[in-house]
Amino acid sequence: MASQVIREWVGFQQFPSATQSKLLELIGKLKQESGSTLTVLVMGKGGVGKSSTVNSILGERAVAVSAFQSETPRPVMVSRSWEGFTLNIIDTPGLVEGGYVNDQALDLIKRFLLNKTIDVLLFVDRLDTYRVDNLDRQIVKAITDSFGKEIWHRGLVVLTHAQVSPPDGLSYDEFTSRRSEALSKIVRLGARRRKQEVKASSIPIVCVENSGRCNKNELDEKILPNGTAWIPNLVQTISEVVLSESKGILVDQTLIDGQNPNNKGKMLIPLIAVFQYFFVVKRIQKWIKTDIARESRPSWA
Amino acid sequence: MTSIAAPGLAISVNRSHRRLNSTTATSATIKSKLPTFSSSQNPKPSSSNPNIFASKQLHNVIKTSTAIVVGLYALSRGVSHVLLGGSGGGAGGVGSGSGGGGGGDSFWSRIFSPAAIAGEEESPEWDSHGLPANIVVQLNKLSGFKKYKVSDILFFDRRRRSTVGTEDSFFEMLSLRPGGVYTKAQLQKELETLATSGMFEKVDLDAKTNPDGTVGVTISFLESTWQSADKFRCINVGLMPQSKPIEMDADMTEKEKLEYFRSQEKDYRRRIERSRPCLLPVSVQREILLMLKEHGAVSARLLQKIRDKVQQWYHDNGYACAQVVNFGNLNTKEVVCEVVEGDITQMVIQFQDKLGNVCEGNTQYPVVRREMPKQLRQGQVFNIEAGKQALRNINSLALFSNIEVNPRPDEKNEGGIIVEIKLKELEQKSAEVSTEWSIVPGRGGRPTLASIQPGGTVSFEHRNLYGLNRSVLGSVTTSNFLNPQDDLAFKLEYVHPYLDGVYNPRNRTLRASCFNSRKLSPVFTGGPGVDEVPPIWVDRAGLKANITENFTRQSKFTYGLVMEEITTRDESSHISARGQRVLPSGGISADGPPTTLSETGIDRMAFLQANITRDNTKFVNGTIVGERNVFQVDQGLGVGSKFPFFNRHQLTMTRFVQLKPVEEGAGKAPPPVLVLHGHYGGCVGDLPSYDAFTLGGPYSVRGYNMGEIGAARNIVELAAELRIPVKNTHVYAFVEHGNDLGTSKDVKGNPTEVYRRMGHGSSYGAGVKLGLVRAEYAVDHNSGTGAIFFRFGERF
Repeated sequence: MASQVIREWVGFQQFPSATQSKLLELIGKLKQESGSTLTVLVMGKGGVGKSSTVNSILGERAVAVSAFQSETPRPVMVSRSWEGFTLNIIDTPGLVEGGYVNDQALDLIKRFLLNKTIDVLLFVDRLDTYRVDNLDRQIVKAITDSFGKEIWHRGLVVLTHAQVSPPDGLSYDEFTSRRSEALSKIVRLGARRRKQEVKASSIPIVCVENSGRCNKNELDEKILPNGTAWIPNLVQTISEVVLSESKGILVDQTLIDGQNPNNKGKMLIPLIAVFQYFFVVKRIQKWIKTDIARESRPSWA
Repeated sequence: MTSIAAPGLAISVNRSHRRLNSTTATSATIKSKLPTFSSSQNPKPSSSNPNIFASKQLHNVIKTSTAIVVGLYALSRGVSHVLLGGSGGGAGGVGSGSGGGGGGDSFWSRIFSPAAIAGEEESPEWDSHGLPANIVVQLNKLSGFKKYKVSDILFFDRRRRSTVGTEDSFFEMLSLRPGGVYTKAQLQKELETLATSGMFEKVDLDAKTNPDGTVGVTISFLESTWQSADKFRCINVGLMPQSKPIEMDADMTEKEKLEYFRSQEKDYRRRIERSRPCLLPVSVQREILLMLKEHGAVSARLLQKIRDKVQQWYHDNGYACAQVVNFGNLNTKEVVCEVVEGDITQMVIQFQDKLGNVCEGNTQYPVVRREMPKQLRQGQVFNIEAGKQALRNINSLALFSNIEVNPRPDEKNEGGIIVEIKLKELEQKSAEVSTEWSIVPGRGGRPTLASIQPGGTVSFEHRNLYGLNRSVLGSVTTSNFLNPQDDLAFKLEYVHPYLDGVYNPRNRTLRASCFNSRKLSPVFTGGPGVDEVPPIWVDRAGLKANITENFTRQSKFTYGLVMEEITTRDESSHISARGQRVLPSGGISADGPPTTLSETGIDRMAFLQANITRDNTKFVNGTIVGERNVFQVDQGLGVGSKFPFFNRHQLTMTRFVQLKPVEEGAGKAPPPVLVLHGHYGGCVGDLPSYDAFTLGGPYSVRGYNMGEIGAARNIVELAAELRIPVKNTHVYAFVEHGNDLGTSKDVKGNPTEVYRRMGHGSSYGAGVKLGLVRAEYAVDHNSGTGAIFFRFGERF
């Protein structure tokens, strides 16, 4: 695929110098501690801004974006290298179609990811949707079912459209935290994580704003309404996740097919058969014998 | 067969006792030796002259065996109606038995009232007595040439000085009927019969002339009575040699007489000793003893009552051939009731051809003999229920078109019964062709010549090979003979019963068959709200060999080997390796769950199959009560495509709990029943989708369509149903639940999720049974909607 040709990270220079220096610092750290490549998988509902986020991170228009329709029919991997460090970002089509999780899209993604290692999963949703519903949970569940729940150790939730005016009576921070809380709960449920696990390592949540109208600070960095420069923040969170003790997810054939349930417990079959003979068949035979013994005979017999 | 014990059967008690002679010496001895009393069947006129009987009043023990034989013959006549009409169900045939008893009844009356019959057969004309009205004429004064019409009959008890009512047991003994026409000879014979019956010490017959020319008959009698008794004993004297009545010279000296009585007494005691204990239970004996104590003196009527009671017990318990033949030891403290119970001396199996002639049968005797209940073997007492059982058992062989089980008196062995089984064999070979034409709309919806399809079934059967009930049967069915590959259904089966030998009581049957089948897979079914899932047909063709061991009629153990090829096809009969699914966009994609293990659409596999069924259910007034457990295992052997190795097992437990004790009997109301049902299915190892367990459907969770809840690796179904009898049927309410235990995802391709099914579901509802059809309203809990269903057969 054309996108797999590793190109120079031209967009890097486009970033404001403050961002650049921060990124360089993080990249250096990553290079040191985990290797020279970083693969980021971006997933989420359709139209939440996955591709835009990819573009924002790369600082260039690497994948086509359209406001009104899905522009990503299949997964795309964009690779950029900078001073010996390669960043792979995999943009995927939206997982929802017609109110259901699109198994086909998921299948496509899985196949695309074959033999790749996913270092970070960006689960993208919008900040400015107020409610979480069952569908969100199903998406999380679909991702868990596909890649295993370990992927959430390497996951972070990205909330787009962060430059939002919160509903009446709520401060921005309050709104963000409420929304994050709701979403984390869904993720926790969908990922079937236990409470303790969640406490030990909660899934980080990062807000982004991809719009060109995004406010900027005096250093020309894009900032959120609360004043954080979000690109360095995002990369920093990513690097924190990568540097945590968990491992990246290698997508291999068994992961794609799921564990073959047909092989589960196969070794036990002879034992099961023996058990069945001695403890079920024999037991029922004994019952039959008592039945025969207890059978009420007619008076003449 | 209660009708056998009907009045027509009344046994007359012979008057052959000897009155105590106070003048004889040593009264004690005399007492004990004399008062024996013998009863017998009314002697058959041809066999012995009743006059002789009448004259020999000193015969202590007289047995007229011929009479017994007559009685039994009549019985066998009655029983002989207990036969199956054609190959029809056993129950119906058996049911006609009681009707047959009725037939026997009339036979009795014919035997016992020859005079009556003679009277009836004569011309209706009768002669007037030709005497002045209202005079009493003695019997011997009547004219021997005239035919008298009897207007009424009166019994006059001389001891009580009153006439007895028509309900009295004495009337049963009489063959004369008011309104009948009789000659003097007939009347005399009647009197002799009465006189020899042993019931009366003295009996006379007088005629009273009526003004209209008819006569009224008055029978005046003095009832026989004996000393009171405080002991009762019942003995079985069947198969015992008859004690020969020794002629007693009229001019015997007193000493000789004494000697004679003594020997008689000795004989009788020996007879009692040799006799076998009878089946009469102690409780009945005690009741009779009570009767004896109440009455004080033993009278003829009391003996009649005792006889009736004893016979009633025997007949109520199915001993249709049992007869009280004699009362002995009268005038002592003990009444001895002699019973011929009807011991079986022989069992004869006879084959008949179509015309009813005895012929040589193809069926081997042991095949029939092993179906006989023990109670029909030699040495047992014949029981009508055992006979019915034999009839049912033989009928279940399905080899005979007509079966008769007849008890027949054994001529060579007095009191013995020969059980005779008459069988008409069915045709061994049969073949059948049935055809049908179907016209399918061709192109444009118009039928064309080419669209006329000849279809039908060809079947053949070869039954009872080697006379050992082995059979081969085969059938081929298609809806289009011109193009049979489309839907050819075939079956070829060989059945080999008595695998362990026909004499071995172990009942194992080998079955080998070659079969195919086509079924719609419930795995590829949509959940609620999913429009249309393209169906998948599962075709199976293969060989099967198994051995079935029957423990009881319902409980059995089957084990064997199955080798089959499974082909999955889509609607248009093309082999499809994967299920299809409807995309959200409306398109159809063919990348659904794999249909087969090999993912090619064709699987071959061999596996062992075992099934053990324990079923102790029985019918209580038409409602099933009891327990049924079924365990089935399919054990893959790793032979076949992709080396399938699996253990697929299911356990079903159903309990029918009777909630109220009820009296059993025909026409009685059945009890309310609670049905509890649990089913577990599971599979370890390779599980192709066609072998996945599906939930939902009339035999799984009612209120859902087949497979509507899901298809999973492990399932649990729980159900409870309450059945309340209402009139001739019952109404019921049920609750059911099915759960995939979260194992839907362990079926490759997760068809449950692909077709948007829940994986679990409950339902509840109520219904009524209308004959074979269940009409029920069931609410499915997943969608909360209810619907009315009509189903055939039972859920459990």
